[in-house]
Amino acid sequence: MKTLQTMLLALTVLWATVALPAAGEVNLFGWSEYVPQEVLDGFTKETGIKVNFESYASNEEMLSKLVAGGGAYDVVQPSDYTAEVMVRRGMLAPLNFALLPNRKNIAPDLLDLPHDPAGKFTVPYMTGTVGIVVNTEKVKTPITGYRDVFQPQFKDRLVVLNDNRELVTWVLYSLGLTSSDVSAASLAKVRPILAAWVKLVKVFDSDSPKTALLNGDVDIGIVWSGEAAILWNENKKFKYVLPVDGAHLFVDTLCIPALAKNKAAAHQLINYILRPEVSKLISDKFPYTNPNLAARQLLTADQLANPASYPASGKLETFRDIGKAAAEIDKLVTDLKSAQ
Amino acid sequence: MLAAPIPPPLTLGDRRRPGWRAWALITPMVAWLLLFVIVPTAILFVYSFCERDEVGGVIFHFTWENYQRVLDPVYLLIFARSVGYAGLTTIICVIVGYPVAYYIARATEERRNRLLLLVMVPFWTSFLIRTYAWITILKQEGLLNGLLQSMHVTTGPLSLLYTPTAVVIGLVYAYLPFMILPIYGSAEKLDNALIEAAYDLGAGPLRAFSAVIVPLTMPGIAAGTLLVFVPAIGMFAITDLMGGAKVPMIGNVIQNQFLQARDWPFGAALGVVFMLMFAVTYGILQSRLARPKS
Repeated sequence: MKTLQTMLLALTVLWATVALPAAGEVNLFGWSEYVPQEVLDGFTKETGIKVNFESYASNEEMLSKLVAGGGAYDVVQPSDYTAEVMVRRGMLAPLNFALLPNRKNIAPDLLDLPHDPAGKFTVPYMTGTVGIVVNTEKVKTPITGYRDVFQPQFKDRLVVLNDNRELVTWVLYSLGLTSSDVSAASLAKVRPILAAWVKLVKVFDSDSPKTALLNGDVDIGIVWSGEAAILWNENKKFKYVLPVDGAHLFVDTLCIPALAKNKAAAHQLINYILRPEVSKLISDKFPYTNPNLAARQLLTADQLANPASYPASGKLETFRDIGKAAAEIDKLVTDLKSAQ
Repeated sequence: MLAAPIPPPLTLGDRRRPGWRAWALITPMVAWLLLFVIVPTAILFVYSFCERDEVGGVIFHFTWENYQRVLDPVYLLIFARSVGYAGLTTIICVIVGYPVAYYIARATEERRNRLLLLVMVPFWTSFLIRTYAWITILKQEGLLNGLLQSMHVTTGPLSLLYTPTAVVIGLVYAYLPFMILPIYGSAEKLDNALIEAAYDLGAGPLRAFSAVIVPLTMPGIAAGTLLVFVPAIGMFAITDLMGGAKVPMIGNVIQNQFLQARDWPFGAALGVVFMLMFAVTYGILQSRLARPKS
């Protein structure tokens, strides 16, 4: 037992040393496949501040790590609805606008959204939509909304995101409701429609839905616009359509946790990322919609012509936090998938 | 005059009670078990009786609700299906793996080592990469469809990927070595004289196999069954990648509770029930094995 105590003590000491904020270091907790390494290298080269990058694959993963108190991060990258919870729970520090002069480059309408009115806590990193990709070589009928996609004739020719809330939201939009309309009554209306839709899908994939389309296993997809943009770059036969019924607009943000140890460096890093020429580097690698208007001017005509990255305006809505209803949605979709 | 120290007589009691040296030797293992098995299991058990808050945190407020939800037909069906897939995988692994293991065990020593190496070679590559390789083989415009069409066996491409068949192929592929190795272990120790004796006593090849060889290699089959069945139930990567995440397995459901639904207590309850199932499976297998001896 004594040995164990010593070992635990040693571990604690070791942990404390690791967790101490070394001067000139900033801990970034961000999405995997979203922040180009050259951006981080460029920041370190210019400021001498080392960036420790840790990545996550979902908002929920990031949130649970932060709630559990793991790690001391200086900059995190939640999506809109997750940022909303974090603001409400006091998990984020207000931004000091004086330290973020490049914030002026961001499209003004994106700085005042329901999840963070007046943009006091978050600043957009990249935005995107969830829309329909059609392989126009195989599908000749016009596709404009969700109901056109989920047709019996397209059975086993569809790939959709493996994301329960997205699935339910598409049905809600097709019913003329909003994505936050998750009352028991709304979900009861969703159930029979989604039950029929789920049966038509061949692949559920959130990580790389483009793969099934590229491989020719399916002809239509409902995917992240970034994935659709890559498909379009690969082959112009992949057309992106924003559903007329409404589409999910997601805003991935940069923000500073309330417990961050190095807030000065965090502001420095965010301001660096908001520079037009730096933001352009991100667009080059990950063709989502760049909220940075000054960076957009640096993009090529080809990049701007990509209909998935810069779609014609449509009926867009950001997600709001739905709290415990997430469990109801999870149960509903699990049930329907399992009943096939 | 000093008498030479007399060594204390070695008694059975001394041997049974390990000294501090023995404890020191097993300390790393005990610490490992404590930190990574006992403590997490205890946390899982406690969480399974808690409530979740809106962010996905855990509130320490006692409730049976999570276990009531586990008994919901939705999840029971998924449990049953997972057992079905794992069972089918295990049966196929025995049928395919037994002859291979037996053949390797009966080969000359030099040949045997080479064949064993071949069984283990796939482990040198990451499991995920090997699964992606299967996607390349099975996809619509993939290697298998190309081969079949160029040989004029089929006219159009077959839908192979993202089907239950693809899931079973993936599971069998992933776990086959875990069946072959333990069966090889018991087949190698098999005494040839016993088989010859069976023949001398008038048994045909079939009788010798079913009455002598199979019972003697039973420990290997049982160990292999356990090594294949238990992990196959909980597997979620293959159902996601090769099955298109269409039909949820219990592994997918549990993963979802922690990553998507932010419902740790329910995920924990599923995990606890799942572990009990493992324990029961193991118990049944153990008693089956013990019975012929007693």
